[in-house]
Formats: sequence, structure tokens, C-alpha cells
Amino acid sequence: MPLEKTDALMSLRDLKVEFDTRHGRVTALSGISLDVKPGETLGIVGESGCGKSITALAMMGLVPNPPGHVTGGSIHFQGEDITRARARRMRKLRGGEIAMIFQEPMTSLNPVFTVGDQITEAILLHQDVSRTQAEKQVVELLATVGIPEPAKRAQSYPHQLSGGMRQRVMIAMAISCRPKLLIADEPTTALDVTVQAQIFDLMRDIQREFGVAIVLITHDMGAIAEMTDRVAVMYAGRIIEQGTSDQILDNPLHPYTRGLIGCIPVLGREAAGAEALPPLAEIPGIVPPLHLLGEGCAFAERCQLADDHCRAQRPALEIPALQNGGHPVACHHAGITTRAELPA
Amino acid sequence: MSDPLLSVRGLTVDFQMGRGGLFSPPQVLRAVRGVDFDLTPGRTLGLVGESGSGKTTTAMAAIRLTESSGGQVHFDGTDLMTLSQTQMRRYRKHLQVIFQDPYSSLNPRERVGAIVREPLDLMDVGDPAARADRVRDLFALVGLRPDQMALFPHQFSGGQRQRISIARALATNPQLIVCDEPVSALDVAIQAQILNLLRRLQGEFGLSYLFISHDLGVVQFICDDIAVMYLGEIVEYTDRPTLFSKPRHPYTAVLLEAAPSLARRKSRGYKRQGIVTGDPPSPLNLPPGCAFASRCPQAQERCRAEKPLLQDTGAGKVACHFPL
Repeated sequence: MPLEKTDALMSLRDLKVEFDTRHGRVTALSGISLDVKPGETLGIVGESGCGKSITALAMMGLVPNPPGHVTGGSIHFQGEDITRARARRMRKLRGGEIAMIFQEPMTSLNPVFTVGDQITEAILLHQDVSRTQAEKQVVELLATVGIPEPAKRAQSYPHQLSGGMRQRVMIAMAISCRPKLLIADEPTTALDVTVQAQIFDLMRDIQREFGVAIVLITHDMGAIAEMTDRVAVMYAGRIIEQGTSDQILDNPLHPYTRGLIGCIPVLGREAAGAEALPPLAEIPGIVPPLHLLGEGCAFAERCQLADDHCRAQRPALEIPALQNGGHPVACHHAGITTRAELPA
Repeated sequence: MSDPLLSVRGLTVDFQMGRGGLFSPPQVLRAVRGVDFDLTPGRTLGLVGESGSGKTTTAMAAIRLTESSGGQVHFDGTDLMTLSQTQMRRYRKHLQVIFQDPYSSLNPRERVGAIVREPLDLMDVGDPAARADRVRDLFALVGLRPDQMALFPHQFSGGQRQRISIARALATNPQLIVCDEPVSALDVAIQAQILNLLRRLQGEFGLSYLFISHDLGVVQFICDDIAVMYLGEIVEYTDRPTLFSKPRHPYTAVLLEAAPSLARRKSRGYKRQGIVTGDPPSPLNLPPGCAFASRCPQAQERCRAEKPLLQDTGAGKVACHFPL
């Protein structure tokens, strides 16, 4: 497929990723198209197994092979299709112009080297500087990410730091080569709320200062609200709704998105003496196994609005004709919220 | 208010940490430092705090699953701390636990029907036929099918496993269930199913929950009373509407400000107020004054010198020299 002209930093077009499993070849991503624009934050949200982490790995050229294979589509980063790039070229891009921070900072740092050594290594790999210069940069970077006594902390081993400090070290390493794109896969899941707040604030500061685009992978709609400009909602390996964060949060068109928003116990200020909160909205059932997906809409099994049409034919991701405008959604009943509104 | 079902006074838990050096004395980490709370029948008391705040240790010590080094616990009028091992064992049928991780809290080699039946076997409740009926009822109660009783835990999803844990906890008709982060390992959509189930069961059986969580949204949804813990102590203790409408302790305010919410939008230029910096001090080397003073936006000289006590404010209790 020819790439249309975009101003995007990274463009995924019809990306397909398959995995070899004991159930045979299973499609983990079936035709993902996404744009990440310079300097923005794009959120990718969904339940476990929806394909959001595989999307992140594909953006880094890190789909584990075997058992994974990128079997179709393209990922253009600044005009270059990285699904066709050689391993050497990818090593140059990764950690250079595309950086990533992972969920568990303890397992993504090497326990037997000091954090200073590990950031120095990243700088020396990607920049033409001396070790002394790199070490000086490390101290500056650690100060940038808000680590107190950066010169002393550079000598620390990962186990001597708290979870929040380790994630700051990961961020320092990620921004060490001034990346244009930072992919953050559930960066605060393992952290306490106060530390999560600090890391989110840091990520926003860094975006403002360096103009880096961020892809935030999360299952938390609160993080989406606070951090992102645009959102893609994923379900069973497909994007099922896409729009600005306000469009998705204020006017969700897909029943799954509405469910995801409705099922979180939202924190809010209460009037004194208030009654117990009403029961949470539920999405019944669980995500279907990928090898059992049929021809119809993957969400039909759990959807209140599903009819024979939904079970027979998968809806395409397109902008529905609605009076109050709309954004891309993959649902035959977009914009309808109850069964009563369904056409007879 | 009716008499408390569970009444805890001055609960203290110490952990031996080993020696710093060959000749230095063994270090003692005081994980829970004199905690008082009451759980009224049919209500849910939330223990909230960050990791290391001692919330799980407090709950486990209160039901004698962790050894305490001081304090009293009265359950339905009985002093649990003075019971012998055998007596305590008999008592356990009134106190059950739902654990955080539905993967490690179920025996992988046992069929789930047997897992749910085990408390009945251990407590010698009824005859085998009655137990089998009870297990079938429990499965229906938590939304599982009776034909699933012969399966093994690995054949269930995380949410279904948590339903099995709940059925097991309900088996002996307990009065109190300690819920230790029961939904934090689950996907959001599944979380809602389990939270609604817990609330429905509470209404149906008049259960009391001691609910441990770090997620304030979950706590606001399920708890009636809340104790906010910081470094082994309760710093604020009040009912839900009061805590969420007017937090008095600066730490509670910080927790509320840090928790994600759909109303805080990047698109509207949201900027967080009053963020805390740094990490909590080491529990091995606590400051003389308020343990939160080093991170508190409101801290003054007195906070660093003198430890605030948990005091009644009329609408709850707070341990702060300068409550908000």
C-alpha cells in the first residue's frame, strides 16, 4: 500500500503481527493503522491481551521472533519503513531516536552495574563523545529527572534505589540521546500512586522541554485523561475506536469504550453524608481467546447491543454519520447506548 | 453504633531484621506501631496506604496470621490474642481471607470444587453430601457453573479464580472477611465484576469486610469507614463521605491529589497541586516527630520535633499538628 503524505513522526499502516502458538498461528494484531505526531502524547488503552504491548514492541522493532512475525503492513518512522530495516539500523534507532521505558524498572536495569554505567553505555553507543563527557552528561540527566544528589546516585546499583527512583533512571536513560519518540509501556503500574503522580509530572515536563512524542500504553482511563492528547482503544488485536482524548472520554461511541470508562471506580469529591455509590457498570465475560475469533465483531459476545449482523460481519473502523459529529469507531451501532434505541 | 465485631487496640508488629554487624545488636523493624480501629458488623473498613505502610501486616496481625508483639484484638467479645492455637483454629471459621493474587492462592493440583470444600472438611461442617450441596450453592452464588467444579485452577481466568477464592472464603459462613487487595491483579473490566459481587454478598449475608487497598477509587466505592496508614500508623480515620469531601491529614490530601481521575485533563492544561517529593523515610530509622514531615507540604518546626497523636476532631480522627 502506498503511503499517503502525512506529517506524522511514526505511521503504522495495516500492521499485522502473528504468533505461532500451540493453537496454530494466531493473529495478535490484525491491521493496525496509527499516526504519532511530533510532540504529542498518544494513548493506547485496552485490557490484557488486546495487543497494546505488541503494538509498542512492533514500534521498536522488538516483536520476539520466533514465535512472532510481522506478516503485513508497514511502520514508517520519519519516512523510513522500519519493518524492512536491517538489525544494525534498528540498533541505531532504538535508544537513539526511538526510546522505550518499561513496566518493571527492576527487571529492565542490569543489577550488577551501577545506574551511571548503564546510562553511560547508552550514550557511548549512540553519541560520538568521550567517556568523561558521557559521565558528565549522566549527572546532568539524573538531575533533569529529579534525582537528588545525582553525582552520588550515579554510583548506586539498581537495588539501592526505590521503584520510583529506578523508573526515573529509566527515563534518564531513555532521554539520554534526545529521542523524538518515547514509548512508555505501563510505566507506572508497579508504582504507588504518589510516585505514579511524580513520574507522570516528570514525563509531561520532559515532553514540554524536549518536544518528544510519547506513546503511552495503559489500561487506566485516568492516566489517559491526565496524560494524552489522542487515544486509540484496542480490543482483540484491533483498534475499535480512535479520537482525541476528550472525544473518547466525553463521547465514547463504542460500547466497549463506554464499558471501560463506566467500570472504573472513579474517585470524586463527595457531599458529606452521601449514600453508598451505585454499582459499577460491568462488561460481562472476558476477552475471547484470539484463536477463537470468528467472522463477526470480536466484542459481540460481551455486548448488550449485539445482533445477528454484529455476529456475522465485523464492523470496519470508520467515522459514523452522526449529527453531533464523530470519530473513527468500529461498531455497527455506533452512538447507540441502549437496546431500546436499536432500529427494529 | 452497635458493638464492634472486631476491635483492635494498640496493635504492634515487630520484625527481626538480623544484625547490622557481628557485634551490633539485632535490628528490629516496627512495621505496625500501635494501631487502634473498630469494625462494625455489616460494614467495610478500608485500610489504605502505599506499599510499606503496614496495611497488610496490620490486617494479618489482627486475625493472627502474623504474630504481633503487642496489643489486644477482640472479635465478637473474645480476646483473640489469648486463645490457644487449637482454640484459634476453631475460631478461623468466622474469619476468612481473600488474597490479592488469584494465581498463587489456589492449589494448582486440586480441583476447584475440592478447594472450596476444604474449609468445610477442616471445620467438620455437616456430612459429605451436605458439603457437596453447599459447594454447589457457593458456586452459583459467586457466578460460576456447578459443572466447573471438577476443573483445575489453571482452566480459569483471573476473575473466575478470584470468584473461587470468594466462594472458599464464604464456605464456613464467616462474619468477617479480610480482603487483601482482592482486585488489584485484575483487569479493570473484571475488577468491576468482582467489586459488585463483593458488595452484593455483603448485603445478602451481612458480612463485615476489612478491605486493604492502595486504590482510592476502589476504596471509595466499597468502604464505609477508612483508615489511612503511613509507616505503620493510622494518620487519619473517618467515614467515607468525610474523608472524600474534607480530608484533614496532608497525606490523605496528597493521596487524593495523586490518584488518577477522569476529570483531570491534559487538554484543559491540568497541573497537579501539592505534589509530594521523595520517598518515605526508612522504617528502621524513623524521625522523632511526624513520620510524614519530611515530605509534607505543610510541615513546620513542631512537626519535626514532636510526634502528633491520633486525635478526635468531631468528624473522625487525625494525627496532625496542623490538620487541613
